[in-house]
Amino acid sequence: MKKTLGRIYILIIMLFLYLPILTLIVLSFNDVKSMSVWGGFSLHWYAELFQSRLMMGAIVNTFSIAILAALIATIVGTLAVLGMASMKPRTQNVLLGFNNIPMLNADIVTGIALMLFFLMIKAPRGYMTILFSHATFCIPYVILSVRPRVNKNTDRLYEAALDLGATEKYAFRKIVLPELKPGIMSGFLLSFTMSVDDFIITYFTRGAGINTISTLIYSEVKIGIRPSLFALSTIIFVVALAVLLIANIRQDKANNLKDARAA
Amino acid sequence: MGELIRLEGIVKSFDDTMVLNGIDLSVDENEFVTLLGPSGCGKTTTLRIIAGFEKPDQGRVYFEGKDITDMPANQRPVNTVFQNYALFPHMSVGENIAFSLRVKNRPEAEIKKKVANALMLVNLKGFENRRIDQLSGGQQQRIAMARAIVNEPRVLLLDEPLGALDLKLRQEMEYELVRLKKELGITFIYITHDQEEALTMSDKVVVMNEGYIQQEGTPQEIYDEPVNAFVADFIGDSNILSGQMVDEKVVRIDGVDYPCIDGRKEGFPPRRRVDVVIRPEDIDIVPYGRGQWNGTIISKLFIGVHYEMLVQSEHGKVEWLLQNYDQHDVGEKIGMKVDPENIQIMHKPKSEAESAIELDL
Amino acid sequence: MTANKKSYSIPFILWIIAGTVIPLASIAYYGFTSREGGFTFANIAAMFRGDHMQALGLSLSLALISTAICLVLAFPMAMILRESKYGKQGFLIFVIILPMWMNFLLRTMAWQVLLERQGVINAIITAIGLPRQEMMNTPGAIVLGMVYDFLPFMILPIYNTVSKIDNHLIEAAYDLGATKGKVYTRVILPLSVPGIVSGITMVFIPALTTFVISNMLGGGKINLIGNIIEQEFTVNSNWYLGSGLSLVMMVFIIFSMLMLQKFDKTGGANLI
Repeated sequence: MKKTLGRIYILIIMLFLYLPILTLIVLSFNDVKSMSVWGGFSLHWYAELFQSRLMMGAIVNTFSIAILAALIATIVGTLAVLGMASMKPRTQNVLLGFNNIPMLNADIVTGIALMLFFLMIKAPRGYMTILFSHATFCIPYVILSVRPRVNKNTDRLYEAALDLGATEKYAFRKIVLPELKPGIMSGFLLSFTMSVDDFIITYFTRGAGINTISTLIYSEVKIGIRPSLFALSTIIFVVALAVLLIANIRQDKANNLKDARAA
Repeated sequence: MGELIRLEGIVKSFDDTMVLNGIDLSVDENEFVTLLGPSGCGKTTTLRIIAGFEKPDQGRVYFEGKDITDMPANQRPVNTVFQNYALFPHMSVGENIAFSLRVKNRPEAEIKKKVANALMLVNLKGFENRRIDQLSGGQQQRIAMARAIVNEPRVLLLDEPLGALDLKLRQEMEYELVRLKKELGITFIYITHDQEEALTMSDKVVVMNEGYIQQEGTPQEIYDEPVNAFVADFIGDSNILSGQMVDEKVVRIDGVDYPCIDGRKEGFPPRRRVDVVIRPEDIDIVPYGRGQWNGTIISKLFIGVHYEMLVQSEHGKVEWLLQNYDQHDVGEKIGMKVDPENIQIMHKPKSEAESAIELDL
Repeated sequence: MTANKKSYSIPFILWIIAGTVIPLASIAYYGFTSREGGFTFANIAAMFRGDHMQALGLSLSLALISTAICLVLAFPMAMILRESKYGKQGFLIFVIILPMWMNFLLRTMAWQVLLERQGVINAIITAIGLPRQEMMNTPGAIVLGMVYDFLPFMILPIYNTVSKIDNHLIEAAYDLGATKGKVYTRVILPLSVPGIVSGITMVFIPALTTFVISNMLGGGKINLIGNIIEQEFTVNSNWYLGSGLSLVMMVFIIFSMLMLQKFDKTGGANLI
C-alpha cells in the first residue's frame, strides 16, 4: 500500500517535471508552427536553428565564456585556497565571508552591481565584461570545492614527502596537487555549468551586440516563440542527458571497481 | 656506541602556549629511545623538531656533533613513520615506497630491487602493485615502515605508529619492530603514550610531561625507581602515598613506621615529607595481624592472570591497590607486607611539599 | 604547509575587491544619490510608493506560495528517495537533476507553450468540448513556473540531509514507543531542518527577485519587484532609483535569511 502510494507520487512528480520538456521535443518535429495542431513530422526547425548566424554565434560565446571563466576561476580559486591555508583562522574566515557574498546574493543584485561597476570605470560592455562577471561568480564555487581538500591530511602527506627527501616544489606537484585534483575538477565543472546556465548576470553585464544562448532565447521569446527554440531545447536536453549518463556510468564503474577491489 | 643526536635547551611555544620548556636529550647510535608521555606533553613536538618540521624557538639540534637546527626536513638523514601512516593515496604500494628513491633520481633497476627488499623486510613480499585502500591497518603500518627505511636513514622516527591498531596486532608489531631494528642496525626514536610499548621495546625511556623531561633511564630503572609521583603514576599501576621520613631510613606511611632503603645520602633526611610508591604486585597478603598493615578487602576483580583487589586499611583512610594470584573474598580481613626494597621514596613536587606542611599530616 | 604562500591569495583578494566589494559599494552609492548628484533618501523611500509596494507585496506572496508548494512537494519525495534501494535511488536523483541542466528560460518557455490561449492544454480542453481557459498572464501561471523551475533545488538539499539520518535513530524512536507520526514530527523533521532551510533559501531568493518568469508567464502585465528594478536599469535608465530599490530588497533578503537562520538554530536546539 505504502509502496504503491510512493510509486504514484513519483509518477506525478516525474510527469510534472518531464511533460513540459516532452511537449517541446514533440513540437520541435512539428511541420507547422502551431502549438496545438500536429502538421506532420519535419526537421526543418532544426535546419532553421543551424542556419541562424545569431544562434551559432551565441553558442560559441556561451561555451568559450564558460570554459575561460571556469579556467580563470579554477586558477584564482585554487591559488586562493593554498594561500589561505597559511593564514590565521580569523583572516581566513573574513575572506570566506566575502567569498560567500556572490553565492548568497540574489543574481539580479550581483548583475546590477557589476553593471554599475563597469559603467563607473567606463568599461565597454561586451565579451570581456561578461567573462569577468562569470569568473566573479564562479570563484566562490571553486573555493568551496577545493578548500575541504586542503586539511590536516594534506599537510601530513606534504610533510611525509619532505621527510622522504622531496623538495617543496616536487612535494607540491606530486603530492599536494593530486590530492586537490578531485576538488579542482569539480570546481571547474561546477563553474562551467553555472556559467553556461547563467542568464541574469549576463543580461546586465553584456553589451548590445553580444549574445549568449540564454540572452538570445530571452530576446526571441519576447518577440514571439519560434519552433526553432523547441529544436534548441531538444538538442540541449539530449546533450545534457548524454553527458549526465556518461558521467553516471563512469562513476558507477569507478564505484564497482572500488567495491570489487575492496572485496 | 657514540652519540648520534643531541638536543640542547630546546624551547618551543605555539601561540603563547609553552610546549617545550628546555629539553636536553642525547640519543646514541643504534639506540632504541622512546619518548613517553600523555598527549600534550611535548613528545610529538620534540620528534617534529628532530625531523625538521618545526624550528625550536631556542636551543640547537646536533647530528653527529654537527648543528642541523636550520637544515630543512628533506635534507636530514632521518625518516619518519607517521601517525596514521600518511601513505600517498594516489600511489600504489610500490610507488609509495619508491618515493624517496625517485626523488633522488636513482636508476629504476636499483629502485625496484630496493623496494622489493624493503617489502621483504616488513614481510609483505610482492605487494608492489596493491593500492593503499586495499590494505588492512596492519599492512598499511608495515608499508609506512618500508617507505621510511628504504632510503636507509640513520635514524627512524616513529610517531605512535601502533596507535591505530588493535591490541593483538599491536603486540605482534612490537616484536616486528624490535626484529626490524636488529636487522637494520639503525637508531629508533619512538613516540608513544602507551607505557607497555615503551617498556617492552626500548633501550632508553624518556618520560615527558608538560614540556619537561621527567625522567630518563632504562625501562627497569623507570619502573622500579620512578623519581616522582607523575612517573610512578604514568608507568604501571601503583599506590602513591604521602609519607614522612621519621628517622634515618624509616618512613611513616599510612600511620605505620617502616624501614626503607633511602636515607640522608639519597636526599631524604628525617622529618622530610615525601611521596611513596608501592607497586600493587609487591604487596604480599599474610594472615590478619601478621603484616605491617591490616585491612579489609572491599572489592575484587579477576583480570586474566591475577586478581586485583582494593583494601581499606585500618590505620588511615587509605585504600590500597593489590595484585595477587590467590583468590581472597570481599570482606575478608587480611594483613599486608612489603619488602623494604619495594618501597620507593620520592621527592614531593616543590609546590606540593610546601602545601603539605600547612596541612600537617 | 609551512612555507609562506599567503601571496597566492592576492589575485583572489583583488578579484573580490573589483568584482564584489566595489560593485556592491556602487549600488550603495547610486542608491543614496539623486539624479542631480546630491545625497538623498528619495530612492530608498521610493519603495513605499504605491506601485512599488504593490509589486513587493505581490513578489513576496508569490515567492512564499511557491516556496511552500515546493516544500510540500519536495519533502515526501526526499523521504521516498531515502527509502528506495541503491540503484533506484541513483536513477531517481538522475531524473531530478536532469531538468536542472536545461536552460531555465527554455523550461519556462515550455509552460508558455502549455498555458497559452492557443497552447497545448487549451487544445486538449477544447478537443473534449470544454471552454477555453485563460491561464497565461495570471499570478497562478507565475507560481507554476516558479515551482517548476525551482522544485529540484528544494528536493536535493532536503534529500541530502534526510539521507544522512542514521537509521538507528529512527529505530530507537520506534523502540521507545513512538508512533509513525511521532517519529516524523519528533525525529525526522527536526533532523532535516538544515536541509529544509537551505532548500527554502535556494527557492525563496530567486523566486522573490525574479523578473524572467514574471515577464514570460505574466506577459509583462504583472509587475514583480524584480521587474520594476530591471526596468529602471534597462528601460528608464534610472540607475539611482534602481539601486535604491535593490538596496531595500537586499535588506529584505538579509532580514529573511536571518529569520531563517534563527529557525535553523532553534530547530537544532529542539533536538537536544
